[in-house]
Amino acid sequence: MNAPPLNKLVPEHIKCFEPYIPSKPDNELIKLYGCSHLFRLNNNENPLGPPEEARGVIDRFPAARASIYPSGDAYHLRHKLAERSGLDPEQFLVGNGANEVIGFVIKAFCQEGDNIITADKTFAVYEWVAEFSGFEARLVPLVDFGFDDEEMLDRIDEKTKIVFICNPNNPTGSYWDEERLRGFLRNIAGRQIVVVDEAYCEFVEKEDYPDGIGLIREYPNLVVFRTFSKMYALAGLRIGYLAGDRDVVDIIRRTCVVYSVNGLAQEAALAALNNQEHINRTREMVREGKEFVAKELDILGLPFVHDQGNFMMIRLPMSDSLAYRKLMTQGVMVRTMTGFRFPNYIRLTISSMEAMEAFVEALTRIVPKGEKP
Amino acid sequence: MNLKNNREVFLSVAADSVFLPLVTSFVENGAVALGLGRAEAMSLTLATEEIFSYLCRIASPDEMVEIRCSGGGYYVRAVFLFSVEDFNMRAFNLTTTVSVDDEASLEEMGLLIASRTVERFQVLIERGKGVQLTLIKEKKYPSSDEETVPKARPLKEFSIQEPNPEEMKLLALLVGSHYQDLITPEFFEYPGKFVDMLESGECRAALALAPDGHLGGGIVWRWTGLKTVECFGPYLFNQDPDSSIPESLLENCLGAIAKTHAVGLINRYPTDDLPKEHFEPLGSLTIFNKDGSTASLTAYFRQMQEDPGTAVWSHPELEGFLQGEFSRLVLPREIRLVKDLGETKTRFSVLSTEFDRSRNVVTLRPIRPGMDAGTNLANHLTLLSRESLRSVFFEMDLAEPWHTEFTPALLKHGFTPRIVLPYAGKSDIVIFQLGEVAE
Ligand SMILES: Cc1ncc(COP(=O)(O)O)c(C=O)c1O
Repeated sequence: MNAPPLNKLVPEHIKCFEPYIPSKPDNELIKLYGCSHLFRLNNNENPLGPPEEARGVIDRFPAARASIYPSGDAYHLRHKLAERSGLDPEQFLVGNGANEVIGFVIKAFCQEGDNIITADKTFAVYEWVAEFSGFEARLVPLVDFGFDDEEMLDRIDEKTKIVFICNPNNPTGSYWDEERLRGFLRNIAGRQIVVVDEAYCEFVEKEDYPDGIGLIREYPNLVVFRTFSKMYALAGLRIGYLAGDRDVVDIIRRTCVVYSVNGLAQEAALAALNNQEHINRTREMVREGKEFVAKELDILGLPFVHDQGNFMMIRLPMSDSLAYRKLMTQGVMVRTMTGFRFPNYIRLTISSMEAMEAFVEALTRIVPKGEKP
Repeated sequence: MNLKNNREVFLSVAADSVFLPLVTSFVENGAVALGLGRAEAMSLTLATEEIFSYLCRIASPDEMVEIRCSGGGYYVRAVFLFSVEDFNMRAFNLTTTVSVDDEASLEEMGLLIASRTVERFQVLIERGKGVQLTLIKEKKYPSSDEETVPKARPLKEFSIQEPNPEEMKLLALLVGSHYQDLITPEFFEYPGKFVDMLESGECRAALALAPDGHLGGGIVWRWTGLKTVECFGPYLFNQDPDSSIPESLLENCLGAIAKTHAVGLINRYPTDDLPKEHFEPLGSLTIFNKDGSTASLTAYFRQMQEDPGTAVWSHPELEGFLQGEFSRLVLPREIRLVKDLGETKTRFSVLSTEFDRSRNVVTLRPIRPGMDAGTNLANHLTLLSRESLRSVFFEMDLAEPWHTEFTPALLKHGFTPRIVLPYAGKSDIVIFQLGEVAE
């Protein structure tokens, strides 16, 4: 059989697009880097694991249930989310991770020639999904490590369909307070969809941090993303959701993949929601970890950027990809930031004290004292 | 490679010499239509004549040859594509069918002759797919007029911007007057060519400009190979020693390639202003000055991505070098040794040759192993020594166990392994350079 004429079959925007290559499984990495264990400090996972109730659901999940289709639209979870927020269950769409719902929104609103607006240095998936779907991603540079509202407004034209704001921003931790977000939404005046990605909202302890879901009633063009991957430590089960105005969500639902979220994830997520104690413990760990690492970085003379969220960015006097390799040989896996357009920065997930100590020790070995970037 | 303004014409004919006049007039007229001057189009036509005649001699007359001509702004490219049976691949050794001791038969070497009238010539053979012969003829440009170089002054304020054509010419002029030849690639000598390279997407540049448009510095980058980007600069013109311009220029370049498939960024002509903390010294290559003297320049490199680690193949004689480099560069690699266990080998090896006459460089790559690897390499070297090309490289891809079989022959014939380029091919590529390491 002849090979398919890929040159003709593949659209131009896919030809120039690069697939995302996920990292190798831990055991492979451990072998190649010759380390004996691995602290995963690269994906902003929560080392405390899922809350007690979710753990129970996972432990008790009967194998026989694996043969039965889950609820196609996460019925019970949506009802629970509605009850907690005072919205209608139909205002929620659950996806295979928040990553999946990014695709739903872009598919629902963009057509040929349209564009989306986001920052140059933020979570990459908004830009990726737009570009591989053939839409322009307009990237507005961060100012002082934060989203630049004025410039984003300036870049909007009649072909702009969606503005993505990561609040707090991964990887800088910066956030818009309620006043700033409201101001932005007022300026947009409902003309575009404004997505506020709140993947890390449960980590934020600031009083002035806006609860996006609470603002949907006032701003029907607002769509909010949340995930169970970060605070709730269910990243391996892949579950996240969006919330929005009923009419907006009805449109997005047309592009959404039903049955993409498995039953175990739905049940575990539902059980996870009630546990404030888990959130408190996690916040406590993050607070302690950040404090410890910040103090050590000061001693090493390394600048760092952090605000909200369970991560911080550190500026190194060497290439981040070299630091990655050197840290890996010592069993510490961080995220390089060149791909986020922060060359020579690494992003560290704040984790257990044991992991933070291992990180600092490994970092101290690779960064000679006094060598400031 | 994102070539804008790319226009292409093609012709499909049987490998029969009755079509020779058709083929040459197609390429000649095509080249003129795509922007070459008459004289340059004629050189490309001569090379075409040699190649097509050669294909007619080695292929059966019913085999089809496809010829594609395209314009790349500062050059026209003619590509010859056709399929070839395995047994016939040998014909694409630069040296086959003739004895190198025989002057008369040397003249028969169509491929070599073709390579002489163009700037770049490349034989690409993919097993099971076919052969692709590429000829690149560049437009002729006047060299820069150094007398008109304006004075540069330190910038108090600057922003990083993409250049317009006039700013690009200015950048070329300033680089020419502020930096030694040794570390300036040849395209800066021809500002017109440099503009065309940028306009066609062959390379990109960023400039540091003051609010009044005064030029303080610049950086240029281009793809070399499938996964590697090469950057030139940052170049600085009379800026303060602690200026943040170099860092900003480099960050702009890194940001532009951050989300592409580039796995590495290399700088082979490092300036004093290169922010070294972004790079790792990869090793050194011998660079030839115009006057023939040599210097060893450190090549700087950075990975663009997290290294997932991999297994590579090595000949026992290369193992020491690889171990040293992998450990120095902290590259996670499992070295697997290729051992000769007496299995039967094919008789004839095949090497592809790529000439870059504007840079005086020739690069050999293995296409097929064979028992004659040593002789074949030696024959190539004898032939190349008559071509007065200064740098001879050999690229070995460590994903291919049989590539490593060339190791003993390379070492015996005076090549030195110089640089490991992580993931530049299917896996890491080892670059060998002919000759000892220069002081
Ligand atoms: C800002 C942000 N949004 C969304 C996601 C995706 O999360 P999920 O695991 O739910 O797909 C992440 C994960 O890294 C993130 O950092």
